Amino acid sequence: MVGFIFRRFFQLVILLFGISFLVFSSMYLAPGDPASMIGGPTASKEDVEAIRDNLGLDDPFLTQYGRYVVDLVQGDLGYSYQNQQSVAEAIGVRLPNTLKLAIASMIVAIVIGILTGLISALKQNSWLDVGSTTFALAGISIPNFWMGAVLILIFSVNLQLLPVGGLSSPWYTIEGIKELILPAITLGTGAAAMIARMTRSSMLEVVRADYVRTARAKGVKEREVIWIHTLKNAMIPVLTVIGVNFGSLLGGTIITEKVFAINGVGRLMIDAIAARDFPMVQGSVLLVATLFVVVNLVVDVVYTYIDPRIKYQ
Amino acid sequence: MPEVVQATNSPIAVTPKKDNEWLLIIKRLLRNKLAFLGLIIIILQIAMALLAPIIATHDPVKQDLSASELPVFSEDHWLGTDNYGRDVWSRIVYGSQISLLVGIVAVVLGLLGGVTLGLLGGYYKKLDGIIMRFVDLLFSFPGILLAMLIIAVLGTSLVNVAIAISIWSIPSCARIVRGSVLSIKEKEYIMAMKSVGASDLRIMIKHILPNCFAPIIVFATMRMATAILSTAALSYLGLGAQPPTPEWGSMISQGQAFMWSSPHLTIVPGIAIMLTVFAFNVLGDGLRDAIDPNMNV
Amino acid sequence: MRKKLLAILAVFTLMIVSACSSGNEPASGEGEGNGKIDTFTYASLSDAVGLSPIMTNDSASANVTDHVYEKLFDRNTETMEIEPKLAESYENPDENTWLIKLKEGIKFHDGTDFNAEAVKYTFDKLRDPETAAPRASLMEPVESINVIDDYTVEIKTKYPYGPFLAALSHSNAAIVSPTADKEGDLNKEPVGTGPFKFAKWVPGDQVVLEANEDYRDGAPAIQQLIFKVVPEISTAISMLQTGEVQFIDNLPMEQIERIESLKNVTVEKVDGTPEYYFSVNHGKEEFQDAKLREAFASAIDRDAVVSKMNGLGIRSDSVIGPKVFGYVESAAEAGTPYDLEKAKSLVEENGFGEKTYKLLTPNRSNFLLMAEIVQAQLSEAGFNIEIESMEWASFLDTARQGNFDLTFLSWSNLTADGSELFYPNFHSDNVGASNRAQYSNEAFDQLVDESRTTTDQDKRLELLDQANRLMLDEDAVVIMYHSIVTAAMDQSYEGLLLEATGKWNLSEVTRK
Repeated sequence: MVGFIFRRFFQLVILLFGISFLVFSSMYLAPGDPASMIGGPTASKEDVEAIRDNLGLDDPFLTQYGRYVVDLVQGDLGYSYQNQQSVAEAIGVRLPNTLKLAIASMIVAIVIGILTGLISALKQNSWLDVGSTTFALAGISIPNFWMGAVLILIFSVNLQLLPVGGLSSPWYTIEGIKELILPAITLGTGAAAMIARMTRSSMLEVVRADYVRTARAKGVKEREVIWIHTLKNAMIPVLTVIGVNFGSLLGGTIITEKVFAINGVGRLMIDAIAARDFPMVQGSVLLVATLFVVVNLVVDVVYTYIDPRIKYQ
Repeated sequence: MPEVVQATNSPIAVTPKKDNEWLLIIKRLLRNKLAFLGLIIIILQIAMALLAPIIATHDPVKQDLSASELPVFSEDHWLGTDNYGRDVWSRIVYGSQISLLVGIVAVVLGLLGGVTLGLLGGYYKKLDGIIMRFVDLLFSFPGILLAMLIIAVLGTSLVNVAIAISIWSIPSCARIVRGSVLSIKEKEYIMAMKSVGASDLRIMIKHILPNCFAPIIVFATMRMATAILSTAALSYLGLGAQPPTPEWGSMISQGQAFMWSSPHLTIVPGIAIMLTVFAFNVLGDGLRDAIDPNMNV
Repeated sequence: MRKKLLAILAVFTLMIVSACSSGNEPASGEGEGNGKIDTFTYASLSDAVGLSPIMTNDSASANVTDHVYEKLFDRNTETMEIEPKLAESYENPDENTWLIKLKEGIKFHDGTDFNAEAVKYTFDKLRDPETAAPRASLMEPVESINVIDDYTVEIKTKYPYGPFLAALSHSNAAIVSPTADKEGDLNKEPVGTGPFKFAKWVPGDQVVLEANEDYRDGAPAIQQLIFKVVPEISTAISMLQTGEVQFIDNLPMEQIERIESLKNVTVEKVDGTPEYYFSVNHGKEEFQDAKLREAFASAIDRDAVVSKMNGLGIRSDSVIGPKVFGYVESAAEAGTPYDLEKAKSLVEENGFGEKTYKLLTPNRSNFLLMAEIVQAQLSEAGFNIEIESMEWASFLDTARQGNFDLTFLSWSNLTADGSELFYPNFHSDNVGASNRAQYSNEAFDQLVDESRTTTDQDKRLELLDQANRLMLDEDAVVIMYHSIVTAAMDQSYEGLLLEATGKWNLSEVTRK
C-alpha cells in the first residue's frame, strides 16, 4: 500500500511537469503580452519595453521555462507579473474559499444524488423513478451561470433569505453556512446527477447479486437488506464518481466563483489568464491538478477499506 | 462541468453482434419512458435544424432597432425579440443547427482522438504507459480551463470551441476504449487471428473496434449533452460563437443583462439548452440500460 | 453508512432551517448617530493590482490610491479646472521651468514630513527606468527635479510642455512617503497623505482603508472604507439592492433602468470624458482610399447606436469630447453625416462590397453592442463585414500590432486634455504602442506636437481644434459616442464626488 502511494506521488510529479509545460507553452503562444497588460492601454512603447525587460520576457522560451522549472523544483511558485505578489501566498488566501465551496457542493451533490438514486432504484420503472431521474438530470442540464443568477434573483433579491455574494463569515457560523448555500446548490447539482445515475445502476446491479438474494431467502428484513447488504456494496462505484466529480467540481468553481463573488482559486485563474500573468496561471493550475490527483488517490485508498477484495501493489 | 464517469476495474460491456440483438435493444429502449421522450426531443431538434429555413419566421440576424425587446406572444414575433430587435424564435431555430453541429464535431473529434489512444494503449503494452500518463494529464486539467487556454491560443471561434471541447472528451473516451480492448484482446479468436498472421491494424479495426461500439455509442450520446452545455459555458465567458451567430449560450449571456426587463431573453434559450442536454442525457442513460446496465460509461 | 447518511441529512436540514429562520442580517454601514459611518463598501469589478501609484496603472488600483495618496494638483470636480492640492502655488519663470511651492505642515501617515524631498523622490522613482513604472511616460518631458528649499521644488522640462499640470494631477503622479517606500513595499502597504489610511488588503477579496483622524481638512465621516471585489456586475447590483454594498460605479447601460428603479438607491450621472470610436486600420494600404473611409463614415448611423444606450451616450462627431480641453462646439457636427444612400452608391461604384472586412472587437458588452449594430448597418450599405471578438488581452495585442481591418477603440481621457488624447492615440510616435488605429499623418503630428510644447492655453485650444477637424475631414475615425459616467449610491448617504473622467472620491460622503 505504501509503495502504491509512493508510486502515485511519483507519477504526480511527472504529471505536474507535463501540465506546467503545457500551460507555459500555451500562455507563451497566446496573443497578449503581460507587459502591455501591466502598462495598460495608455502605456508608451518605452514603458512597455522597460516592463518586458524587467520581467525577462524577451528571453527565449526555453530560458523562461527553464527559469520557472528551476524555481519550481526548489518549491518556489514564483511571483506575479502584475504586482510581484508571491503566487503561493495568493493561492493560500483563496484556497480555503474554493475548498469550502467544493466541499459544500459535494455535500449537496451527495445528499441529492444518493437520495434520488436510491429512490429510483428501489422503485425501478415507477413514476417515482422517472420523476427523480428527471429531477437529477434536469440539474445537470441547466447551465451553471444561468442557475446562479436565477437563484440570486429568487432567494437573495426577492425573498431576501440569503446573502448575494462573497464568503466573509467562517463556515461554521450560521452566516457562513448561509453564504454557502446558493453557490453550493449551483455547483453541486451537476455532480448530483452523476451520483444519482451511478447510485441507481449500482443499486440495481447489487440487488440482483447472489448474496442479496441469499440474504432475502434467509429471511433477513427488507430494510436490513437494503441498508446493510446492498447500499454498502453499491457505494463502491459511487465513490469513484464522487472522486472524479470532485475534480470537475474544482473546474466548475471557475464560473460559480465569478457569479457569487467568491474569492477563490477558480477566479484567480480566469483573472490571471486575462492579465497574462503566467506564474499565477501556472501556480493555480498546478494546485488544482494536484488536488484532483490527491482526491482520487484518497478515493482509491478508501476503496480498500470498503472492499477488502481490492488490493494495490 | 460534469465529467463522464469511469470506474477502475469493472466488467466490460460487449457489443451485441447479431441483428436481432440490436432489435431487442431498440425494443427495450423504447419501453423506457424517459429515453423515449429524449429520443423524440432529439428527433424534433434535428428536424428543426434541417428545416430551419422553412420554420424560421425571420432572418435570425436581421435587426430592427425600433422593435427591440418585444415580449413573448407579440404580434409577428411569438417568442419576442432581443435587444437588437431580432426574432428570438428564428434565432432559436437556427441556433439548433449550431448546437448540434458543434456538438457532433466536438464528439466526433473527441472520439477520433480517444478511440485512437484507447486502441493503441490497450493493444500495445509498450505504448500503454505513456498514453495513459498523457490521458491522466488531460484528465487532471479542469476542462473549462483547458478550453480557455486552447481558445486563448487559437482564437475565439466555434471551430476552436469544438476543438477545445473535443480535447476535453479524449481522456474519458480513451479510458473506456482501452478497457474494452484489454478485455477483448485476450479472447481466443483474437489470439487465433494473430497466429494466422493477420496484421495488427486489421485486427484492431476489423475485430476489436466493432466490439467497443456499444460503450462508444453510449459515451457519444452523453458526450453530446456535455458538449452542448460546455459550448454554452464558453459562450458565457465570451469565448464562443462570434456575434451575430445565434448560438444558444451566447444568447443567454447577452440576454442576462436584460434579465430584469426582458427575462424571456435568457429563459427561452435556457430552456432550449436544458431540453436538448436533458434529451441526450436520458437517451444515453436509456441506451446503456438497454444494452447492458453494467456498462462502464 | 446509515449513520453517515443520517448525519449528512441532518447537516443539510440544518442548512435549510438556518437559512429560513434567522431573518435579514443588519445592513452594514450603521452608525451611532454622531454622523460617523462605521463601514462603507464599494463593489469593485476587479481587485487592485497594487497599492502604489508608481507601480500600477489600472482603475481598480487608482480607486484605492486616490483615497490614500494626494497629488500636487487636482482637478476640480465641478469646474474641471486644475487646482493646487499638495502644492500651494506655482509659477513659470521661463517656458521650461516649473517652480512649485508646497503646502507646509503636512505629514504622511507614517509621520514622515511632506516636503520638496518627498516630491523629488517620488518623481525620480517614477521616471527611473530601473523602476519600470507603467506610467513613466508621465515624466517623459522632465529634464531634472531640484529641491530649492524644504517647500519649493523646481522641475525643468526638456521642452516647453503644455499639459504638464494635467500630468501632475494624474493618479499615477501622487506623492508617496519616501521612508515607507525605502523600508517597505508601497504596493502592499501604501503610505500617503490622503484622508484615508491603509488598514488591510485581502488579495482578491477586499482592500480596507480607515479614516485618517489627523487629516488637515478634518477626518472623513466614513470610518472604514471597503473596496470589495465583486466580479459580476449583476451580482454587485443585487448586493446594492440588498444593502450588502453601498456604492457601485460604471453602471452597465443594459441595467440602468433596473438600478434607477431601486428604491434605496440614488443614481448619479455626469457628462463624461471617455469616448468610443470606430477606426479603419490606417497602416493598411487599402484604407488610404478616402472614398472607402467616407463610405464607412456615411454608413454608420451613430444616432441609432446612441439610442440603444439608455441615455448613457452623448452624440457628437468631435474627436475631442465636450468635457475635454480642446473641444469647440462647432466640431460636434463637423464629421461626415450618416447618409445610407450615399454610402450605398460609394460601395457600389467602387466595388467595396467585394471584399470581406474583419471588424475586431473586444468581447466586452458595450463594444459588442456597437459591433453588432455597426455590422448590420455596414451590411445594409453593401459591405461584407465579419465580427472577430476576442478577450481583452488578445484584443489589445492584436490591435497594437495592426492585425485587423476595422476596429472599435476607446479612451478614457483621464487628464481631460486634448493633447493627451491625440498624442497617444493618433500620433505616429505611438504606432506599435497606444496608437492602435495606426494613424500617421505628418500635418496632424505637427499640430499635436505644437499643442504639447506650447504653454499658452488659447493657442493650444486653437491647435487642438485644427487637429480635430483634420481628422474629421479625413474620416480618420468615426466617433461612436462620448460617455456619460455613472455611479449608484445607497440613498441614505450623500456627498459623492463624481468626476467627468469617471473617477470618484468618497472622502466627503456623509449620512443624510
